[in-house]
Amino acid sequence: MVRRVKNLLKTKHINLSHSATQKKPSDKQATLTYTINENIEYFRSIYANCSDVVFRPILIGGVIQAYLLYIDGLANVEEADEQILNPLMNSSAKNTNEMMNMLENKIPVTNLRKLSTLPECIDSISTGNPLLLCDGINIGYSLCLAKWEKRAIGEPTAEVGIKGPREGFTETINVSTSQLRRIIKSPSLKMEELFIGQLTKTKVVISYIEGIANHNLIEEVHNRLERIKIDGILDSGYIEELIEDHPYSPFPQILSTERPDVVCSNLLEGRVAILVDGTPFVIIAPTTFFSLLQSHEDYYQRFPISSAVRWLRYLFLIISVLLPSLYVAILTFHHEMVPTALLLSVAASREAVPFPALVEALMMEVTFEALREAGIRLPKQVGAAVSIVGALVIGQAAVQAGLVSAPMVIVVAITGIASFMIPRYAMGIGFRILRFPIIFLAGALGLLGVMMGIIAIIVHLSTIRSFGVPYLSPLAPLKGSELKDTLIRAPWWKLKTRPHLTGEYNKNRQSPGLKPDPSKGGE
Amino acid sequence: MEKGKISSLQMGMIMYLTIMSTAILTVPGITAKYAKQDLWLSPIWASLVGFITLIIVIRLSKNHPQQSFFQICEQTAGIYIGKLVGFIYVCFLAYVTGQIIRSYADFILTVYLPQTPISVIVISMTVLAAFTVIGGLEVIGRVSQIFFPIFFFSIFIIIILLIPKLNLSNLLPIMEDGILPSLKGAIIPQVWFGEFFLIIFLLPFLSDQSKGRKWGMITIFMVLFTFLTANLIVLFILGQNIAGSIYPFLKATRFVNLGDFIENMDPIIIALWILGSFVKITVFYYVTALGIGQWLNLTDYKPIVWPLGILIVQLSFWSLPNLMVINQHDETVSPFLGIIMQTFIPLLLLGISSFRKKVKPVKI
Repeated sequence: MVRRVKNLLKTKHINLSHSATQKKPSDKQATLTYTINENIEYFRSIYANCSDVVFRPILIGGVIQAYLLYIDGLANVEEADEQILNPLMNSSAKNTNEMMNMLENKIPVTNLRKLSTLPECIDSISTGNPLLLCDGINIGYSLCLAKWEKRAIGEPTAEVGIKGPREGFTETINVSTSQLRRIIKSPSLKMEELFIGQLTKTKVVISYIEGIANHNLIEEVHNRLERIKIDGILDSGYIEELIEDHPYSPFPQILSTERPDVVCSNLLEGRVAILVDGTPFVIIAPTTFFSLLQSHEDYYQRFPISSAVRWLRYLFLIISVLLPSLYVAILTFHHEMVPTALLLSVAASREAVPFPALVEALMMEVTFEALREAGIRLPKQVGAAVSIVGALVIGQAAVQAGLVSAPMVIVVAITGIASFMIPRYAMGIGFRILRFPIIFLAGALGLLGVMMGIIAIIVHLSTIRSFGVPYLSPLAPLKGSELKDTLIRAPWWKLKTRPHLTGEYNKNRQSPGLKPDPSKGGE
Repeated sequence: MEKGKISSLQMGMIMYLTIMSTAILTVPGITAKYAKQDLWLSPIWASLVGFITLIIVIRLSKNHPQQSFFQICEQTAGIYIGKLVGFIYVCFLAYVTGQIIRSYADFILTVYLPQTPISVIVISMTVLAAFTVIGGLEVIGRVSQIFFPIFFFSIFIIIILLIPKLNLSNLLPIMEDGILPSLKGAIIPQVWFGEFFLIIFLLPFLSDQSKGRKWGMITIFMVLFTFLTANLIVLFILGQNIAGSIYPFLKATRFVNLGDFIENMDPIIIALWILGSFVKITVFYYVTALGIGQWLNLTDYKPIVWPLGILIVQLSFWSLPNLMVINQHDETVSPFLGIIMQTFIPLLLLGISSFRKKVKPVKI
């Protein structure tokens, strides 16, 4: 509450033309008056032309004039009828003291807050809590009866898996925090709330585990969030872009997930999660390059398989960036590198193609990207059409017409699949974009260009930090003990220590000697 | 000036790549000219220069902890002579950077992209290096840490693939004409070992000062080992024909043929050369930029990186019009310039500095 008021005070100097409260800027600090008509007048002027705001006049005990203010659809009307209006109208209170007494003691509402300033009252109404104003007192009662239609908890659609929990976050932040709390029951799980956005007043919760997360990190997250002054936050993507370290980088420096288990595993490793109301995507900082290449399922299935899958992923990451450019470079500059038999069959299929390899590759890659984008945006019913057209036109017809060579189609297809192997979409798309400049470099300078591109990417990755953590750690700078969860996925009984992010650090996460063994069994 | 810190392990990797990347390709050929089949002995003699240089440099920085090389010059030789020596070093470093870029570009031109204008190759590399230099020492350290395993294991794999082609009898006769040819052959490789002098610029930025010496030594041994292996492999494969080729290791790798499918390994060598040269150029570029900053007592070296880049591109063409002159220069000028600048002058400085240290308590 205090923080909310502070935020309001801080944001005072910003001018937003559409703000309703801006009509009476001097009223920011204004308090309610003793006469109800003045108060109601004020609220009516603020909520002019807001047909969804309901002003319900009532007479408490038939004597005291009062108003119930709420937004239609955001407040639980049945509860309000039964628990508020009914006792109020039937009460025997004759003066203000009796009435206050009765309100505070006899109204069966779990959370009843007394508000005295007008901005607080407006906040209360906006969040859906009905506001009760009575004649003769300069206090408004905020009744915690907010309720609106929300999506049920469902399976996360962007991060599916075979094994592991099947529930995802929803758009409602209270549900999300409760999902975290249900996994981590310790009171050391902290949730600090903030409100960001001048008009949307979006609730943002900073979540971390005290004693594991570094204090400086928490403070840094606070500082970066508090300097955001914007009209609205519609998704955690806004916040991500406003708090990251290197705004021009194509790589995401903050992990975004819709799975409570992923958030909890990161919290347990000492990271900080930022939950944003209105979106199922929770963002986690700091994040490293390699944690963006890991999937939640790596930790749920057997470790040799997870390790193998990780290596497969690294291999295909390289393929997704380099394959088309290597193809172009080799076909344009270095035929001698290809074994003769292979060269002959490639040359035979390229014979009829009228374009140089560079043009061919660019054409195909751009088309593939277009297909992918179209596939995402189109309504489900049309989506099938796109894939059919794409497969037929690009795969079959283009090759038969001699516009594109069959090897090129294979290259593009493999590259496409490779880029989908990266578990984090934001990371995959970053690499997908980098493919194009490297294709150009390959077309211009051959392998030298490809190498230049690789060097440039690695230099860039070495430069980035995410909240003070080098992006390429634990590989560069090398932290030997953390490679057990990077190069491979060591078995759980080997993952004894948490990764070291910055500063002071709570090292051990399990007791030693957890390796299972028949002799250690209960018998 | 430089806020980043690197670990001594990173320093070792930086130095390994800086020295090995260019040495592995060109040095065997030059050495073989003098040492013939004894070329594998030359790196051992040459490594002595490396050890001496490292000891000098470590001692010097122990006498003047946390001081830049230019401050050491001024403190030992007095402000005027110290500034002059510093100026000579700045020029030397810039000149060597230009020379390295040139030899990189020449390699790419001869074996790889003969039609491409040399300026494109030189400028593209300089631009890439400039960005890295602006990133600072930490970035160079991390980049080296990623490139080191790639470089090391690729060489290792190529050597394994070459095993069936080795002809061990090429080694004989050992020391046919005594020790002299192999000593003569060591004159040129010592320039590479002398490059350990660069450690003096990195030492103040180590996060673990005490391990600097240890990792320096390990790096020299690693370089020596790689040198030795490369020379031996080249000798075993090419025999007496080494002297005729400029890039014998590249020539040797062309012999790789496994099941008629794994052949033509030279693109990998070229890729490694580009990676290694990149690190080498970046390190020299960085040291030059940092050196100018320290010499002029600037607060930040970053503003001079781009202007210096233009100068370096110029320097790579300035005194070296063609490959003939470059080879001539490499064999006559470089060894002496190298040993004077990298070993002899630091030794002189160390002498003065130790003398002053001893004399100091007597001063009234």
